[in-house]
Amino acid sequence: MSSMMQPQIILLKEGTDTSQGKPQLISNMNACMAVADVVRTTLGPRGMDKLIHDDKGTTISNDGATIMKLLDIIHPAAKILVDIAKSQDSEVGDGTTSVVLFAGEFLKEAKPFIEDGVHPQNLIRSYRTASNLAIAKIKDLAVSIEGKSMEEKKSLLAKCAATTLSSKLIGGEKEFFATMVVDAVIAIGNGDRLNMIGIKKVPGGTMRDSFLVNGVAFKKTFSYAGFEQQPKKFVNPKILLLNIELELKSEKENAEIRLSDPLQYQSIVDAEWNIIYDKLDKCVESGAKIVLSRLAIGDLATQYFADRDIFCAGRVTEEDLLRVAAATGGTLQTTVNNVIDEVLGTCDLFEERQVGNERFNIFSGCPSGQTATIVLRGGADQFIEEAERSLHDAIMIVRRAMRNSTVVAGGGAIDMEISRYLRQHARTIAGKSQLFINAYAKALEVIPRQLCDNAGFDATDVLNKLRQKHALASGEGASYGVDINTGGISDSFANFVWEPAVVKINAINAATEAACLVLSVDETVKNPKSESAQGDAGAMGGGRGRGRGRGMRRR
Amino acid sequence: MALAFDEYGRPFIILREQDQKTRLRGLDAQKANIAAGKAVARILRTSLGPKGMDKMLQSPDGEVTITNDGATILEQMDVDNQIGKLMVELSRSQDYEIGDGTTGVVVMAGSLLEQAEKLLERGIHPIRIAEGYEVASRIAFEHLEQIANKFEFSAANVEPLIQTCMTTLSSKIVNRCKRSLAEIAVKAVLAVADLERRDVNLDLIKVEGKVGGKLEDTELIYGIIVDKDMSHPQMPKQIVDANIAILTCPFEPPKPKTKHKVDIDTVEKFQTLRQQEQKYFDDMVQKCKDVGATLVICQWGFDDEANHLLMNRDLPAIRWVGGVELELIAIATGGRIVPRFQELTTEKLGKAGLVREKAFGTTKDRMIYIEHCANSRAVTIFIRGGNKMMIEETKRSIHDALCVARNLIRNKSIVYGGGSAEISCSIAVEAAADKYPGVEQYAIRAFADALDAIPMALAENSGLQPIETLSAVKSQQIKENNSYCGIDCNDVGTNDMREQNVFETLIGKQQQILLATQVVKMILKIDDVISPSDY
Repeated sequence: MSSMMQPQIILLKEGTDTSQGKPQLISNMNACMAVADVVRTTLGPRGMDKLIHDDKGTTISNDGATIMKLLDIIHPAAKILVDIAKSQDSEVGDGTTSVVLFAGEFLKEAKPFIEDGVHPQNLIRSYRTASNLAIAKIKDLAVSIEGKSMEEKKSLLAKCAATTLSSKLIGGEKEFFATMVVDAVIAIGNGDRLNMIGIKKVPGGTMRDSFLVNGVAFKKTFSYAGFEQQPKKFVNPKILLLNIELELKSEKENAEIRLSDPLQYQSIVDAEWNIIYDKLDKCVESGAKIVLSRLAIGDLATQYFADRDIFCAGRVTEEDLLRVAAATGGTLQTTVNNVIDEVLGTCDLFEERQVGNERFNIFSGCPSGQTATIVLRGGADQFIEEAERSLHDAIMIVRRAMRNSTVVAGGGAIDMEISRYLRQHARTIAGKSQLFINAYAKALEVIPRQLCDNAGFDATDVLNKLRQKHALASGEGASYGVDINTGGISDSFANFVWEPAVVKINAINAATEAACLVLSVDETVKNPKSESAQGDAGAMGGGRGRGRGRGMRRR
Repeated sequence: MALAFDEYGRPFIILREQDQKTRLRGLDAQKANIAAGKAVARILRTSLGPKGMDKMLQSPDGEVTITNDGATILEQMDVDNQIGKLMVELSRSQDYEIGDGTTGVVVMAGSLLEQAEKLLERGIHPIRIAEGYEVASRIAFEHLEQIANKFEFSAANVEPLIQTCMTTLSSKIVNRCKRSLAEIAVKAVLAVADLERRDVNLDLIKVEGKVGGKLEDTELIYGIIVDKDMSHPQMPKQIVDANIAILTCPFEPPKPKTKHKVDIDTVEKFQTLRQQEQKYFDDMVQKCKDVGATLVICQWGFDDEANHLLMNRDLPAIRWVGGVELELIAIATGGRIVPRFQELTTEKLGKAGLVREKAFGTTKDRMIYIEHCANSRAVTIFIRGGNKMMIEETKRSIHDALCVARNLIRNKSIVYGGGSAEISCSIAVEAAADKYPGVEQYAIRAFADALDAIPMALAENSGLQPIETLSAVKSQQIKENNSYCGIDCNDVGTNDMREQNVFETLIGKQQQILLATQVVKMILKIDDVISPSDY
């Protein structure tokens, strides 16, 4: 690469050559389509997983956003797809594969028009109109689950969670996990506190051994000698939460004591011991039976508590401690002075239990009940990781569904219905726009088509059946989607393949935005691959890369 | 790797360092993954069963391990392949959860993969295979529950527990004294078990080994062994009815943690300091004496002066005892760990019937036995053996046996071993397969075939004709409707595992099937492998 020491000249040459006008636009579209192809096969219950191995380890995943992130894409146009997958993930948590597929498909449908010399702005305008129409239609079609009884609502939410989970590795146990997720989400209530659901991973066992703790659970922390002599089970204990060290240590780092008389020696020693004993006494006096601290609890304190039948755990991670505080109604104390009853938490049952190879501290039956912990088990680390990601998706979906309370039929049914609606609408438009909206409508069919392809069915056949159903004037076929088990079609709504409307709305919105963005770019100025020395010093610009200095771009 | 080409045939650069990555996709990826998984399983296959062989593994720094334990073999093999690693983790999770059957689970997964490969070649969708497997595993799971036997034991009647542990130990190198080892394991577990809560904390069982002697000398001690000796050679070597002070503070003048300085400017002051130091020593020893301690166990050391003083005052002591051991001693003797001399009281002393120092053979090695403790909630298994490798392997075998005993306390159900449970499941799954419409039927049938792999490997390892033996046993099971027929590995002359007393825990077997299915599903579900190309 030393011959490229003068990038400007080469840049100009190459830039004027390919990175302008129509060829550039088409090239960008091709790149996006190639990326969409990567995640294509992960869609739906018969979707496959990807194994991505990089220097940070191995990941096996089915989650669109995770895969896109790990692919480490540097192509500037294709990066947009990564971004929309991410935004979908943070906004609704699920449908990350769909959003990428939609974007890819919109571009694919646009390509022939661009090649035929249509101005991209025309396309963009039509796509925008189409997307607005589509979203309005979804809102129209969505069924509200508001106003149902708690029991009913629970089972409805579980249906949504099950639909999300069906495409994942833990799909075989989707009912099991769906109920678990719903219970967890209901437990934390409406608050915006996702971190109140803890997910703990313990290798070993099968996924059916996973369980939900209606409270908090965390791994036994590092313990000093004497710990085993503490009681490990309490009923209705009082819990003291601390953020101080209970250890014999120098109170001030930079203090120095000068003694002129050796006889004073003992008093200094006693004074130090008294400080710590004083703290410990206050803990005991508060009446707490369980003492947790974010900082270390030393061996002296451990033994002191053991003598007084108190359980203690030091170095509890902050988030666990916050969860305990929220669950038990206690307040985190930064001093042991003046510990009143109100700041102590409580729960029905505390127990140390063996889970797999670890011992777990489990607080259950908490009064406020605003936390939940899911303990995941599985045969391999990657398995549990993937299960965690899947559960995260499901949790997000349930939360979304709880808040917005509207659902649509999954299995490609909603997509087919919008597609039909747009086609119908297109006929009423005079002018070029008719063609573009038709193309948009066709692109929406990608979801049912891909579902069939992944399951090994004849996509054309199934799609024709679906089109026929959806075209019925009575509208009774509106909720028909792909039946993944038989290779035919079935009423998705009746079969409880449901997803929250907001997932679809967001996916269509984001995908249309991304497609329009790609369409509107007609020039990319990209400097050539530079060697690392230059790259480190150079402006990494918008590149989020981990600075290996390759393939950077400048705008 | 190139993802795509543009109109002019040039590749897009979409990924970072695209040309340094390899990508395998579609059927090729699945085949490669299956091949890797099978390769790992093949290595373990010969270790299965009572006539299974051991593997010798040399670590990078030259240490040699000889073992028959699946989890250990895989752990030490340092598998590099990603799918291979999944198999290692599979074995490890079985180890964490159950502690036994680590070889079986890998063999099972390997055979499931082998069957899946055949189905893939016929063009069956991998997910359909996985789903079929899942259905089949549930059938097998429930079938195991049906053929399982409940198993009554009590603290007085531990024979059934011993029999089950013996089955585990029979495949290990230590099988010549499996009876005595099994008894040791069962007694140890019962000693620490909380039968009401069905909870066993294996941390309370200390397994200590020492080279020398023979395997038969392995013993269970209701107490603790510490690999230390008395701090002074002239201290008594045996203490009857010892009252033990367990200290975590050193035998020396206390030091403030804050930085300090003592200004000595006159001779008098120096002498006072000296006197005071001596007084400290004196007080400490006196304090121990006062509360009635006859033995001091200290987490820290003490210098010669203190040592001498202790000797003079006739107070034996052990120094530098580790924190974990100290805790076990405290639990065993019912004492309390004391952090400060001022806190020492008579109630906090631990009690042991006998403390003795024992020398071994001609070596100078000595160990301290703390026995006949007030509370035998902590026990030690002391292993002797010809060489280090042997001891390490015995430790692993004992661990397996302990886990089995623990699992039985948790769940009393057992199934019969010798492959009988697998054969029975295979028959049940095969029969159920026909009821399923669709492609899954093939996968379920393949699962049944895969279940045969374990008895087949057992027979093969025992030098029997695998196919003949298996088919004979299978027909016998169907004919007599008897799920206890297994492979007669030891040539006892009967196929009935009830008579041979070959048991395995129900949860162990169920776990094996579920775990293997789970991992196989995971492997089958991958259709795209992206990795750095130098791999």
